[in-house]
Amino acid sequence: MTHVELPLTIFVVDDEPPARNRIKELLSDCSAQLPVEVIGEAGNGYDALTQLSEIHADIVLVDIRMPQMDGIELAQHLNKLPNPPRIIFTTAYDDYAIKAFELHAVDYLLKPIRLGRLFDALSHVRNAIPMRIQELLELTPEPRKNLSIHERGKIHLIPIQDVLYLRAELKYVTVRTTSHEYLIEESLTALEKEFITRFIRIHRNCLISKDAIEGFEKVVEDKDGESHWTAKLKGLDERLPISRRQQFIVKDFG
Amino acid sequence: MPKHQSINQNLQPDTLPNFRNIGVTLRTVLWINGMALFIAAATATSWLEVALRMADISALLQPVLLSSLLILYLLNPLFARLNYRQGIIVVILLTGLITLIIYLLGGDLYVQPGEYNNFLAGRNAILGSIIAGLLLVYFRMRAQALSPALQASRLQALQARIRPHFLFNTINAVLGIIRTNPKRAETALEDMSDLFRMAMSYSGELVSVQKEVALARQYLALELLRLGNRLKVNWHMENLPEDALLPPLILQPLLENAVYHGIEPLTDGGLIDIRLYCSGNELHLEMYNPREEQGVHHEGNKMALANIRERLNLQFDLEARYTVEAGKDFYRVHILLPYVNEVNHDSC
Repeated sequence: MTHVELPLTIFVVDDEPPARNRIKELLSDCSAQLPVEVIGEAGNGYDALTQLSEIHADIVLVDIRMPQMDGIELAQHLNKLPNPPRIIFTTAYDDYAIKAFELHAVDYLLKPIRLGRLFDALSHVRNAIPMRIQELLELTPEPRKNLSIHERGKIHLIPIQDVLYLRAELKYVTVRTTSHEYLIEESLTALEKEFITRFIRIHRNCLISKDAIEGFEKVVEDKDGESHWTAKLKGLDERLPISRRQQFIVKDFG
Repeated sequence: MPKHQSINQNLQPDTLPNFRNIGVTLRTVLWINGMALFIAAATATSWLEVALRMADISALLQPVLLSSLLILYLLNPLFARLNYRQGIIVVILLTGLITLIIYLLGGDLYVQPGEYNNFLAGRNAILGSIIAGLLLVYFRMRAQALSPALQASRLQALQARIRPHFLFNTINAVLGIIRTNPKRAETALEDMSDLFRMAMSYSGELVSVQKEVALARQYLALELLRLGNRLKVNWHMENLPEDALLPPLILQPLLENAVYHGIEPLTDGGLIDIRLYCSGNELHLEMYNPREEQGVHHEGNKMALANIRERLNLQFDLEARYTVEAGKDFYRVHILLPYVNEVNHDSC
């Protein structure tokens, strides 16, 4: 029983043109044994996200060190696509990343890339399941520069410096910026850990941006006259309650 | 010195200190006056007496010290022709002689009338020689103490100067153009080989500024291959004497920093501005690069800079200076070296 296999569709992301060229040459060398088709390439993460929202690739080859958005962050955003591509990272030299890749059995290729290694990686990753976002987060100590959601067939990026607060509600986390509100499917605890330098917890279910703090107000509850602190954030009318346990924040940031 | 030297025993031969170096002069003045103060304090019985004895000692000591330093400064080029042993003997005898002459010339200043005797003249000359000898021992020990640092910094410098990141990315880039543009690939490999030859043959000898600039340009040509039009470089070398000498591979690591931390993280790249000029009797190296606005500072920067600072210290002691200005979105390094050339002119 024979069937004609569709070629693997491949997308290449690297900020250096000769490096992209090298990968494309190697892929065409591969095609004798393994049908592959390069369906696009990008020189940075933003361009890659835009293109990959429109076209589907089976495999994305991603350079780790790129300007503005590194390869690991790109992979995290691509993961939000309904049918996320498999990722193979490429790197010339990056001690930290390589240790993390080995630990999590992530596919990666060392530059200069060898034909044999590329071939093996392609054959292997084709059958692998996509990585989970949590696994991807553990690959780098650097926090993302953007949060992302999949919205109307596109990956929408929310720059982290625009986020005023993150609030957990049921299985989602609300991401609030001055003008919008988004829902993302991530855990508040993981977000707190990732963005520890930028956000502070004011309540069991809420993290606020330290930069956005405008002031604190004491609010008296109407019924039994008990009062509690709330935080006022820049550009928001809403007051966010601070839990009794976190009241030290009023002193530290007030 | 053993005849066969393995790499591990690559010891520097002993040399006299460079008497034209400010660091050497300053250390000599400080040590000698320190010793004088020690003697004054050891023989005195009151604070006032310490000052009086110090003044007493200084009357002979300071003229001898200053004229010795001046004469050694003038004779410094001649010492290069002597071996270490001959040099030591000359310096010691010279200091003794200078002490004797000044003592005799001083006449009544140093001798109470009728008190003159051969003992005092001889003793002062011998003490002068002994102190000169002790200082030479000090400078030799200092040089030896620093030389393991020299070895270590050489190795460390070698590793830090050419980042593995640069090596592997460049090889990858060359592979990327080898089929479409073999000529350019050839040039790239030649540039790489020159760069590594210089890095691996580091001998501590000074090179001409032309050679250093040529090497830096070869390095930049390789980065240009990878980064394309994201990397722009401006050279300003209007007032630069061609015969100026500097330690090899000072520019390249600075440029590598500028590329790695400055240009690469910028999507649209940027302009590296390099100014080399001579002013007074100092050689100025200035380098400016834009960088991504950032709150977090990269550690890698500091390592390469510490490395260069150490090499400059070993080479020039206090005469090389170094300033770094890390702005919010730019980085500027300014290095000042004494102007040196083959014939040893002192100003440009």
